[in-house]
Amino acid sequence: MRSSEFAVGRRLCANAEGAAAAAPPEAPKKERRVSPLEAGGTLKGAEAAGKDASAVAKNVVLGAADTSQKVLQLEDGRFVDYRWTDGRWDLSKFASAGGKMDWDAWNKVIDAEMARRKILEESPIPSTNEEPVFFDTAEIPWWAWVRRFHLPEAEKLNGRAAMVGYFLAYFVDQLTGFGLADQQNSFLGKLALHVVVFAVLIFRTSSTIPMYKNLLDEATFYDRQWAATWDGQARPSETEKP
Amino acid sequence: MNNCKPCGGAIPLCMVDEFDLPADIIDRKVTKMKMISPSNREVDVGKTLSETEYIGMCRREVLDDYLRTRAKKHGATVLNGLFMRMEQATADGPYTVHFNSYKDGGKVGKPETLEVDAVIGADGANSRVAKEIDAGEYDYAIAFQERIRIPEDKMDYYKDLAEMYVGDDVSPDFYGWVFPKYDHVAVGTGTVINKTGIKQYQQATRDRSKVKTEGGKIIRVEAHPIPEHPRPRRCKGRVALVGDAAGYVTKCSGEGIYFAAKSGRMAAEAIVEGSVKGTRMVGERNLRTYLDKFDRKYWATYKVLDILQKVFYRSNPAREAFVEMCESDYVQKMTFDSYLYKTVVPGNPLDDVRLLVQTVGSLLRGNALRQGANSLPEAASSGRRCLSAAAKAADDPSLGCPVEYIDLRGTSIDQPAVCKYTGNKYYSDDWQAH
Repeated sequence: MRSSEFAVGRRLCANAEGAAAAAPPEAPKKERRVSPLEAGGTLKGAEAAGKDASAVAKNVVLGAADTSQKVLQLEDGRFVDYRWTDGRWDLSKFASAGGKMDWDAWNKVIDAEMARRKILEESPIPSTNEEPVFFDTAEIPWWAWVRRFHLPEAEKLNGRAAMVGYFLAYFVDQLTGFGLADQQNSFLGKLALHVVVFAVLIFRTSSTIPMYKNLLDEATFYDRQWAATWDGQARPSETEKP
Repeated sequence: MNNCKPCGGAIPLCMVDEFDLPADIIDRKVTKMKMISPSNREVDVGKTLSETEYIGMCRREVLDDYLRTRAKKHGATVLNGLFMRMEQATADGPYTVHFNSYKDGGKVGKPETLEVDAVIGADGANSRVAKEIDAGEYDYAIAFQERIRIPEDKMDYYKDLAEMYVGDDVSPDFYGWVFPKYDHVAVGTGTVINKTGIKQYQQATRDRSKVKTEGGKIIRVEAHPIPEHPRPRRCKGRVALVGDAAGYVTKCSGEGIYFAAKSGRMAAEAIVEGSVKGTRMVGERNLRTYLDKFDRKYWATYKVLDILQKVFYRSNPAREAFVEMCESDYVQKMTFDSYLYKTVVPGNPLDDVRLLVQTVGSLLRGNALRQGANSLPEAASSGRRCLSAAAKAADDPSLGCPVEYIDLRGTSIDQPAVCKYTGNKYYSDDWQAH
């Protein structure tokens, strides 16, 4: 027997509150010390779930979400998630306080869709007419994509361009005596600046060069076979011009 | 002539008009096409079709027979035989074709010969004529297809709908399909780059369409080669190749029937024109006219589909983008117009630009999700498939089994991993030490 089922989101621990709710209503004798369960821990609210706790653990502590809700599971060949209804992500389940779809909310949608695709890629499930999938990645606004995926990358590339540029400018200065400002003002300097920036953009990692070569090969892969018929042959349409 | 060719059997609308096919050749009219992505996103293509537009599904045995009978009626002599070899006694002399005749209906053919002026090889992917003229090889895809008779209520769903599955589980470089046929469906898939895995891809296609096609009976299993590009030599002397024998199958859709019929007709027209209706001897030059015309007319079509296949069947994120893109009415209209009428009508430039932006956007988004997924912590995804099992006793936590991840690497039925809470035993049979 084996199971590719996957379960996150089970109850981790009993809720700390509420256990002492049924204290007997006795006559006030003395100030009794509150029991540990009543007093609670040293931290309150979401912080009580620990540092950098998972969303599920936080929900459990806050008692907010129903902990029996399933997150990112495959059950009997169906994808099950409490945020997934009618073939799309139910945005209201992701919304921040006040029902706003802000950056955090969209980021969670991206996370969820990413995980869903990964799960289905690893364990494909049948497509059914009962539960068609409609979620379109275009529903997530462009700025969420840019902020999530482009900005970190841009940061890296800008940093790289600045480092390479500064280093080269320093060398040129040492060798020729042209200062940074002079270099920027000359045509050659501007050209070199652009070369550096575009080179950094085009060749991002060492695997890029074989990738471009591969693309070129693929793009022209069957052209030779098409042309082979006409090797050393005159094409009638070219020779019989009226 | 009694053979039944393995073929999807979809014919474009323009073929019906151009070749004057009667309506009853078409068993089913497909007006909806469902594309299904690796994550099961589905898009119905065909919303833009008008009342009179459809993809005809035919059975090749019926279509071929009709075409043969019609040729006979117009004066052609039809011989049932198997081509063996041919020879040319003198450099410019006639060809002597040796073939095994099955005229008398025997199991073993009777060797016969025939003298002819020109030979057109239309004998499919394993062409013997091509071998005779040393036409060279082509790369080919293997297509595997099972014809399944499914229960009537399930068949009802497929009455005018074809399905197309994409994903690297279904095929690494092509697509899996469920096509409606006469009274059953054909479930199949194809691949060029990993032909040894075809059984596994077929199983995946069956699994993906499981709910819609289960309970059926497999009535026939077919496998056939699909050419990927033309043979290096398609014409030698007064011998020319057409159709699959020449290698005229498009990438991306894997369609060859229209181009086969069209190339056959063009070759015939070239001969009729070159021989001035049979009053003059034809030469290689006349046959080359056909090749020249065909290449000029269709090379771009083949190239575009080749590029589409390379871009969109490249990886799972690209396939997701492909399906997403097909939601657009403009894409659907353009695809169907080019498929049904085999002419590319230039669209509105503004729409083209919009389409380009949409496509690049879809591809970027798909790839971003995929790249991000690679860095997802294992706990957020299903982990190593089948190599970890999540044990849980029941939904009620009071039963005392929390979720536990069990590493199944190195386990077997004899040495299972045991859940330390419940005592359940787990093993994985698809794990192998490397």
